[in-house]
Amino acid sequence: MKRAGQIALLVVAAVSALGTGIWLHPWNRAGAPDSVNVTRLMAASLPDMEGKPRALAQWRGKVMVVNFWATWCRPCLEEIPEFVRMQEKFGKEGLQFVGIAVDNAAKVREFAIKYRMNYPVLIGEMDGVELARVAGNELGGLPFTVILDRKGQLIGTELGGLNEQKLTAIIQPAM
Amino acid sequence: MNLRVTARLLVDLLLAACAACALTSAAADLLAPEQAFKFSAMLIEPGVVEVRYRIADGYYLYRDKFRFTAIPRSAGLGEARFPPGEIKDDEFFGRVETYRGELVIRLPVKSARGFTLKAISQGCADVGVCYVPLTQTARLVPGRSSGESVRSEGNASRLLLRSQEAAPSR
Repeated sequence: MKRAGQIALLVVAAVSALGTGIWLHPWNRAGAPDSVNVTRLMAASLPDMEGKPRALAQWRGKVMVVNFWATWCRPCLEEIPEFVRMQEKFGKEGLQFVGIAVDNAAKVREFAIKYRMNYPVLIGEMDGVELARVAGNELGGLPFTVILDRKGQLIGTELGGLNEQKLTAIIQPAM
Repeated sequence: MNLRVTARLLVDLLLAACAACALTSAAADLLAPEQAFKFSAMLIEPGVVEVRYRIADGYYLYRDKFRFTAIPRSAGLGEARFPPGEIKDDEFFGRVETYRGELVIRLPVKSARGFTLKAISQGCADVGVCYVPLTQTARLVPGRSSGESVRSEGNASRLLLRSQEAAPSR
């Protein structure tokens, strides 16, 4: 009986510790509804690399990974090849990356060609920063990523770099 | 399941929880850019402005992103003199020079009247987050001993477009 009690205590402690860890994770904290205005984000329209206006709402119905980045931001550049790979791998299953560059069109075009970016990149320039703030990025740091499920509900945000493993864990339940 | 196995499981779970906590600290504890890159400027002698950045531990500024302008422009700012920074070969950017800790930059200025110095800087945190270019300003008046930063624009993004356009292409 005493032993069973010890085991129960250990399990409770372990589950609480794990729960705390998960709760403290940035995507949960940053993803609090009061800090992310998904409606305003989804209502945004920005020019693409050819200058054509593109509404974010056009990708509703897919699992969207909206990534704010810039060519001058080193950690942003590190994660892009992984996004290209994941777009290739999961695009048919309904995963849609959308880049929003806090940068000017010429630099973005040059980078997009060099790194064979296979998903739409919108040119945010100054509006990109404001939009990132709307999406919960108060410090104006990059990279910043917002992940939405097929219904357009927020399932995660991340300030700082993402990799395939981390991002897969966030999108998997929504795929 | 015996006690030893359960204890082992507990250790694993705690490690997983700690890993999640560690991830949290990376982005959640980030300083606001004005705190990470504390700016001040003063006229240390007639015709010489000393710009000082106190860069918090774990943060750095890029040398080639600094832009200084005087308002009005007729104040006549000369070319900034930077101390040597830390030089690295970056796989994306090529040769880059960065600063950490205390950075002192000197700017020659022609005007004998007061003017506003506008300083644009751009930096990152070692945890893998970069800030959009930050604009900070100081009012400098000859004859006053200190021209401490009078205003630091928290909303750095306002001038992003112009600063990006002004940035030399690599």
